[in-house]
Amino acid sequence: MNIVVCVKETPSTTAEKRFGPDMRLERRKEDAIINPFDEYAIEEGLRQQEKHGGEVTFLCMGPATATEMLRRALAMGGDRAVLVSDPALAGSDAIGTARVLAAALEKIGFDLALFGSAAADAYGGVVPSAVAELLGQPLLSFASQLDIEGASAKIQRQAEIGFNVVEAGLPVLVSVVKAINEPRYPSMKGIMASKRKPLDTLSLADLALDAATVGAAAAREQVVGAEKVASQRRGEVYIGNEGAADRVVAFLVEQKVL
Amino acid sequence: MSNDVWALAEISYGKLAGISLQVASKAAELASAFGGVSAAVAMGVNTAAAAEELGACGVGKVYASESQVYDNYLVQPAAETLAGLIQQHQPKLVLFGGTNFGRDVAARVAARLSLGLEYNVGDLAVEGDHVVMSVPAFGGSQIVKMTFRGEGTNLLGARPNAFPTNRVGGTAAVEAVPAPDALSRGAKVTGPFGTEGAEQAGHLGKAPDGHDIWMPAATRAKLEEAQIIVSGGRGLGGPQGFAQIEELAAALGASVGASRAAVDAGWIPYAHQVGQTGKTVKPTVYIACGISGAVQHKAGMGTASLIVAINKDKDAPIFSFCDLGVVGDLNVIVPQLTAAVKQRKGT
Repeated sequence: MNIVVCVKETPSTTAEKRFGPDMRLERRKEDAIINPFDEYAIEEGLRQQEKHGGEVTFLCMGPATATEMLRRALAMGGDRAVLVSDPALAGSDAIGTARVLAAALEKIGFDLALFGSAAADAYGGVVPSAVAELLGQPLLSFASQLDIEGASAKIQRQAEIGFNVVEAGLPVLVSVVKAINEPRYPSMKGIMASKRKPLDTLSLADLALDAATVGAAAAREQVVGAEKVASQRRGEVYIGNEGAADRVVAFLVEQKVL
Repeated sequence: MSNDVWALAEISYGKLAGISLQVASKAAELASAFGGVSAAVAMGVNTAAAAEELGACGVGKVYASESQVYDNYLVQPAAETLAGLIQQHQPKLVLFGGTNFGRDVAARVAARLSLGLEYNVGDLAVEGDHVVMSVPAFGGSQIVKMTFRGEGTNLLGARPNAFPTNRVGGTAAVEAVPAPDALSRGAKVTGPFGTEGAEQAGHLGKAPDGHDIWMPAATRAKLEEAQIIVSGGRGLGGPQGFAQIEELAAALGASVGASRAAVDAGWIPYAHQVGQTGKTVKPTVYIACGISGAVQHKAGMGTASLIVAINKDKDAPIFSFCDLGVVGDLNVIVPQLTAAVKQRKGT
């Protein structure tokens, strides 16, 4: 089975974040990590490979420096990585990104394409669905369990109450949530092996994509300003168990909640 | 392109989502600001009832596509119908609720028709002939102002509770729209499960993988619509810890929420998660028990009118953005609080 896991490089969740003069998020190389949500997709790709065989490819659209992040993914396992990197891609919106990933997925070929359910920088979660549309394929989204039998994939999908079961034939795209697995840590052996695994870089021309359909010029949204949010809270503190419940009740009564 | 503003309604198994009324109310308001017509697109079962509710929120027209195909397949049939309607009528804006359904449908339609797409809008203002959107960023510590650019319809996803429901009264003209046939290449919903006993009181159940998980009572208000929320986090110590949260919620007539830590630990289903990767809630009172208050949690509940926090760690970040913070043992305080609330209410 041909498995492709789409991964994104995001700033560390604890990194200080600010906008540059172009109103884009300033991305510093030293803060770059694998999007934490994508680690579950990586782990699921590796587990499906252990069950069904085949190849695992990590696919990323990002700056040239994202090769380091892809090596970290390859240290967890997998066979090879593909980085789509091109100066013309800077400032792509979600749909522009989806166009690139869709074109790359078509070029690589896949039975199963895995995504994290969102990225820790934008929390959009719209890219997997957009990629599925561009490829004309179903998306099994928000999977908390994935079972592949023969040419069919079945997921458990978290619903308001309980779970849904959703199925689709291969090839299929699947986005996963954290509940699906516990990502492994790279072993020393894995780290050593990762250095010898093939890592290809593709440009827009390699994907035969028109530069006018991606990047900042094609983005349909723009940032026009940003402001800090000030907090206005009373901040009363009550210390100790004794009388605490009574204080909370009195507070709720004062606030006309009770 | 017209000056019309639409709302995408979310109907699941015949039930209209509350957020659909919020976006319908806003669509009606924006359409009058732009001098266009407001409409809602309702797809699924029981669209006639949905059309009545949407009309009462001021939309002039409802495109109603009545079919089970929308429940039988994820997203694709809804995207198909909505894309067709947008191509035909070219509305200026389509508002959708920033739920899993809304985002997945909007992403497909935007990809297919190359439309503008913003999915996390907390507020908006009309400036001339366009909207300026406020999008929370970096865990809500900043508000980013965004506009659309380029030609064609734009899709605007509203965060839950970003806009109020305004039942201004009114009746929408209903236009029937054909639904797509069953899909040959679709994500087919083959069955819900884990819903047994959904009506019963909160209880310790089993997750699909066999571990214990707290199943809150299904009879309470949805988190996004709840006026009071009692939420639990890692400080509860395990799924059983939610029993006391449930009892306090029952006494207050509240809904049960949870932090990501509690959900990640498998103590309670994801549907109860409040925060950046969970629900955005806006209750009158939010009572956080054993929740440290990471910035991602704050992003989901920071706009509650009142925040009460109970935590044994006096340095927990939540004490920096609450109205009343109690430094103490929740295992002692929560049951006492439940008893005190019951006594006060005479129940």
